[in-house]
Amino acid sequence: MTEKEQEFSPNIVGFLCNWCTYAAADLAGSTKIEISPAFSVVRVMCSSRVDHNLVLSTFFDGADGILIAGCHPGDCHYGKGNYFTRRRYAQLKKVLETLGLEPERIQLAWISAAEGNRYAEVVNSFTEKIKELGPSPINNNQRL
Amino acid sequence: MKAKVGVYICECGPNISERVDIEKISEELLSSGEYDDVELVVKNYGLLCSGDGKTYLEEEITSNAFTHLVIAACSPRDHNTTFINVCKKTDLNPFLYKMVNIREHCAWIIPDKDKATEKAVQYIRGGIKRVLYQSELFEKQLDITPDVLILGGGIAGMEAALALAGEERTVFLVERSSELGGVSAGLNRLLPRQGGEVNKLSSYRGEVENNEHIKLYLDSEIKSVIGFLGNYEVTIGSGDEEEGVELVVGAVIVATGFKLPEINGLPGFDFSEKDEVHSSIEIERMMATDRKLAMRNGEEPKSVALVHCGGRSERGYCSQICCSYMMKIAGYIKDQSTEIEVVEYFRDLCLPYKEDQKFYDEIAARGVEFRRFGKLEVDGASVVSTGMDGAESKQEYDMVIVAPAMLPAEGTEALAGLLEIPLHETGFFEEEHQSTNAIGTTTDGIFIIGAAQGPRGISSSMLFAQASAGRISTQLIPGQKITPEVKVSEILEAYCTGCLTCLEVCSYGAIYFDDDRAISVVNEAVCRGCGNCFGSCPSGALRTKHFTNTQLMKEVAEAVRER
Repeated sequence: MTEKEQEFSPNIVGFLCNWCTYAAADLAGSTKIEISPAFSVVRVMCSSRVDHNLVLSTFFDGADGILIAGCHPGDCHYGKGNYFTRRRYAQLKKVLETLGLEPERIQLAWISAAEGNRYAEVVNSFTEKIKELGPSPINNNQRL
Repeated sequence: MKAKVGVYICECGPNISERVDIEKISEELLSSGEYDDVELVVKNYGLLCSGDGKTYLEEEITSNAFTHLVIAACSPRDHNTTFINVCKKTDLNPFLYKMVNIREHCAWIIPDKDKATEKAVQYIRGGIKRVLYQSELFEKQLDITPDVLILGGGIAGMEAALALAGEERTVFLVERSSELGGVSAGLNRLLPRQGGEVNKLSSYRGEVENNEHIKLYLDSEIKSVIGFLGNYEVTIGSGDEEEGVELVVGAVIVATGFKLPEINGLPGFDFSEKDEVHSSIEIERMMATDRKLAMRNGEEPKSVALVHCGGRSERGYCSQICCSYMMKIAGYIKDQSTEIEVVEYFRDLCLPYKEDQKFYDEIAARGVEFRRFGKLEVDGASVVSTGMDGAESKQEYDMVIVAPAMLPAEGTEALAGLLEIPLHETGFFEEEHQSTNAIGTTTDGIFIIGAAQGPRGISSSMLFAQASAGRISTQLIPGQKITPEVKVSEILEAYCTGCLTCLEVCSYGAIYFDDDRAISVVNEAVCRGCGNCFGSCPSGALRTKHFTNTQLMKEVAEAVRER
């Protein structure tokens, strides 16, 4: 690894559902678990609200990684929103490939309001993964 | 007019003030020169959620005449409502305020104070940028009717009717058959005490019939329903009649109960009508009317097999109440004569209530044998059971009594279609959430109680009935209006292609198709604002109010900014 790559500090955006994962993030905070400052939370009411446009715009704006997280299947506050999220996520992976972005730059996770520890683990390991992947090709001045 | 944005940073006692440098945040925000087009006021305060804090904030909003407000404090899950209520006391529309979480998502998770400060600046910047793109939204007040429609006149429906009916609330009770009572009518004794409670149960019928605030419709069914919480238009009628009675109600309670299958249709059960094989409910009613267990020839049986779990493996669920009522029947038999041999065959024992274990011990002590089976067949009046160890045994009995699995009531599927509420894979109605909302459905104002929701006994059916009555009493208060969610979806006519995708993905039936304009339209009284329709719209015609992409991208822009 070159020195420059070692210094790489990614910008990661997490779209968290209000009812489960945002609450898990709050719990991780209340228990004062350390979480990488590279990760920024954006609250949405349901993970199913996160459309392709929002994800792609976030990448085009310069995000190195995106986490979409919501309630466990069957536990969606709105009944079945997260099942739709799952399908959109599968499509998005393909879209990223087509655009020449590594599909690993986007991750889906189910984290309940009680899983503060797991939230921290998911976020921190995703951050590590993005660090290994390096800057998004969009930020690296590479043409897509 | 130049926007005037107030940014208030809550110190949260030491929670935020010791872990981020609030002074530095103020400096960075004010000196950045990024907000030249807005007038920015940045202040901090000890504890904004305190009584003094709220008064301070109210005065600040009014005296500064802010056009927008950002509060950097704890999680919006803790105090968003607190500050919305403060805004409501002022001229500032509460949707022109944004809460930024710099405690849980910043101060508490980033130990390095400089980094935490930097992160807080980022989040607050995002908040300022976002709030400038937020729009005023206005709550609407809708009139309601407090009246309630109950479908099913069994014990759950009657209990709910009695709990709800009063001077200011009429209950319409619709029963498909010609009598009230449902399956619970004509029982012999009730667990656990087996005393006179059963009489109380039968007195319910009279109480319901004589209650002037309960309007009974026997031999009737629901024909159509349309509307939302507080305003459902319903037609009820009997048989195939086209004409029906039209009612307006605020809520609908589904208490249509369950049915018991013919035991001869159960897999592994092969017997003729002459054989002494009976269903448990037959025996319970026999005991209530004849006070004596007898075979078809009038004689007392010398040996009785009680077979639990009839059809359980095929149905894929436990009916919860059979174990205890089968032990109750074993008790009846031993009361009649200690000489009668009684064997209970069970796949799994279900003893959920606090008295059950003791009851089991008592019944076992009276000489009732309990045999666990892996597989069981009934051939005439003989029971062929395969134990858990695989050993097969066959035994003849004078009488076999079977507890069949509880099934969804006749017509459950059609009713679900009419009410647009989902069914569970077992065929019963599906609750919104088993733990957190067992009586509610995905549609506000439609409740499922008793055995319509799944196998239940009398006690939990009545509890469910009481719970639904409690919920309705607080949701539909006579003379008061309701305020539906305002952060709902909207569809822009110019972009909608009428593809109907949003109708398909909506869990609440909140979107309908306007044939005249050939576009989809959101019913704002029903929409809960999840945004699934937004995520699925292929033509960009949808907006999720207060959570638009433009607004979210302002937060994103700060998150991905070069540092």
